Amino acid sequence: MGTPCHFALFDLQPGFRLDPELLASRYRELARHVHPDRFADASEREQRLALEQSASLNEAYRTLKNAPHRARYLLALSGPELPLEVTVQDPSFLLQQMQWREELEDLHDSADLAGVAQFKRRLKVAQDELNESFAVCWDDALRREEAERLMRRMQFLDKLSHEVRQLEERLDD
Amino acid sequence: MALLQIAEPGQSPQPHQRRLAVGIDLGTTNSLVAAVRSGLSEPLADAAGQVILPSAVRYHADRIEVGEVARAAASGDPLNTVLSVKRLMGRGLADVKQLGEQLPYRFVGGESHMPFIETVQGPKSPVEVSADILKVLRQRAEATLGGELVGAVITVPAYFDDSQRQATKDAARLAGLNVLRLLNEPTAAAVAYGLDQHAEGVVAIYDLGGGTFDISVLRLTGGVFEVLATGGDSALGGDDFDYVIAAWVVQQAGVSADLDPGQQRLLLQAACAAKEALTNSALVTLSYAGWQGELSREQLDALIEPMVARSLKACRRAVRDAGIELDEVEAVVMVGGSTRVPRVRQAVAELFCREPLADIDPDQVVAIGAAIQADALAGNKRGDGEELLLLDVIPLSLGLETMGGLMEKVIPRNTTIPVARAQDFTTYKDGQTAMMIHVLQGERELISDCRSLARFELRGIPPMVAGAAKIRVTFQVDADGLLSVAALELASGVEASIQVKPSYGLTDGEIARMLQDSFKNAGDDKVARVLREQQVDAQRLLEAVEAALLADGERLLDADERMAIDAQMQQLRDCMAASDGLAIEQHTKRLTQITDAFAARRLDATVKASLAGRSLDEIEE
Repeated sequence: MGTPCHFALFDLQPGFRLDPELLASRYRELARHVHPDRFADASEREQRLALEQSASLNEAYRTLKNAPHRARYLLALSGPELPLEVTVQDPSFLLQQMQWREELEDLHDSADLAGVAQFKRRLKVAQDELNESFAVCWDDALRREEAERLMRRMQFLDKLSHEVRQLEERLDD
Repeated sequence: MALLQIAEPGQSPQPHQRRLAVGIDLGTTNSLVAAVRSGLSEPLADAAGQVILPSAVRYHADRIEVGEVARAAASGDPLNTVLSVKRLMGRGLADVKQLGEQLPYRFVGGESHMPFIETVQGPKSPVEVSADILKVLRQRAEATLGGELVGAVITVPAYFDDSQRQATKDAARLAGLNVLRLLNEPTAAAVAYGLDQHAEGVVAIYDLGGGTFDISVLRLTGGVFEVLATGGDSALGGDDFDYVIAAWVVQQAGVSADLDPGQQRLLLQAACAAKEALTNSALVTLSYAGWQGELSREQLDALIEPMVARSLKACRRAVRDAGIELDEVEAVVMVGGSTRVPRVRQAVAELFCREPLADIDPDQVVAIGAAIQADALAGNKRGDGEELLLLDVIPLSLGLETMGGLMEKVIPRNTTIPVARAQDFTTYKDGQTAMMIHVLQGERELISDCRSLARFELRGIPPMVAGAAKIRVTFQVDADGLLSVAALELASGVEASIQVKPSYGLTDGEIARMLQDSFKNAGDDKVARVLREQQVDAQRLLEAVEAALLADGERLLDADERMAIDAQMQQLRDCMAASDGLAIEQHTKRLTQITDAFAARRLDATVKASLAGRSLDEIEE
């Protein structure tokens, strides 16, 4: 849409805290205007334009909807580009990370569905806490380095929740 | 048409003119066509009052029969009568062989990898057979609605891959239909159901047809149908129930499983009849080739249990992918004839802990929904003023082959379409000047477990040390769910792109030949038809430009731009008056080009206005 910033596209102030309902309703409204279905009968060029605009709208929505993606996007907006995978010096989290992984492996070996459900609930709580910490940290410009570290932790938990889904799928076989 | 038609709410540029568009459910067993008439979407009947057209085509040397007559002839003339052709769409010869020896046809290879069925009328590809079904529906619609169709929405199983979608679109083209959109069947059903019941919230659509199974989870919010996740199996359906019953009969009767095509058809018909009878009775008598026996509903349940279980597993996965729990699903809608099987209903009810809904005829609901979408896409305003918006997803992940025969996902499954995403790759050898791009679809890690969609080569990369080149591969999936891929070397600007032509699709040569044949057979005056189309297009463009100029001409154009557009419009009108086809085409194109910038400005302005409008409302609140 020619606008450089995803937040501006949805007419939102750049920030970590956002109302998901508001974001969703603005997304739906914008999608109504640019979706290719509105141009089913239009010229090829217009259809292409609608396709491109719709695709970038969908991409912007996907980025803002997901907390780790949003955090990463915010950091990238205000600073140097962040490499996707880096070795982060975060020893206190490293231990936790290993614990999560070990537990997940045990659940895999024992095929314990109730255990998986409980693991998911705990993971959700940890994610909510982390989101809150990031939000607080983000409000303070001096704590950028910490914000970056928290974002990496969020990414890890996001990946972990994806792995839980894969495990559920395997256990369902 | 070059310009955005942005009508004020409640105001249509041509208020008295309704443009004819239909929804077509091209099913494995049965097909239907529906249209919105007097604000109501309903299936259209043939001269005998039948709305359902069996998806059966029988080829004679000099003519083609489609529908009930053809189906009835299947056991008598099995080699020339094609049933369940949808199962062959977009499949390779090897896939088809894997479907089983059960298919009583003689296959031959074609110019492409697609299997052709040998008939008395020569080899027929699944695309042509499907086109023959679509032609009958098109003629029915034109006769009933009294005019030429602007276009059609054709439904496909949500779980259809790129090849299967492309094959369906090719079939529509062959049948002379303008495809407004390929629409996923469960999404179409959700539209029919959602508008009928004024439903809101999370809804699951369980769609078990003759040959395909889909499960979609959607969120319905004020006319917006947002697919959260979809899943399924494009080779699971009621036909498979018939096959297991048939296998059971063969075993019980102690006859050889090596049947001739006519016997096979008879056996499958008996199996299908038994399955249908067991919907309302607990026991049915089956006879085949001198053997007679009884099949109980419990036995049927046991026979189909593995398939029912497969469908439930896909349901659980779709719910997980949607990021919700089973109990958050507020309604489950049953679609497809095979959901009449009692065990299927019971199993779905148990999984979701709620009674599934079947308020709209499960055979008709998809076509009804597709017609609503077609009507909207053709530009007709809905009676209740509520605008539809369908946000669908891709069913299977898309990716590329990387080193070691692994698939690297570029777009994961259940991503909202349209979508465009890029991924950067590099060379692995010093001085490497070319790179093979192998496009894949599927969920597994090994490329041998995924479907190969296309291969193409990016050549002319300037020689560099390994790892120095930066090749950006962009995937784009349009609103029909069809993929195109482009590759670009960033330093040199070397480019290669393809519209993904499925490995099992028809070649351009084959399509050209078939189109030519169909023109010949139709006996149509092609030139007159083309001229008529050109004039219609030109007229529509002129009307759109006029409306746009009236609305935004002063605001968005300077005097020179305005003059150029006016002059071009006049030129187009002149050649329309002279019925000069070639000139009409050229000047239509020219008018489109010079109004392009205007169109883009209007689109931007609309987006801004929609935001500004809303912010204002909020301030007022």
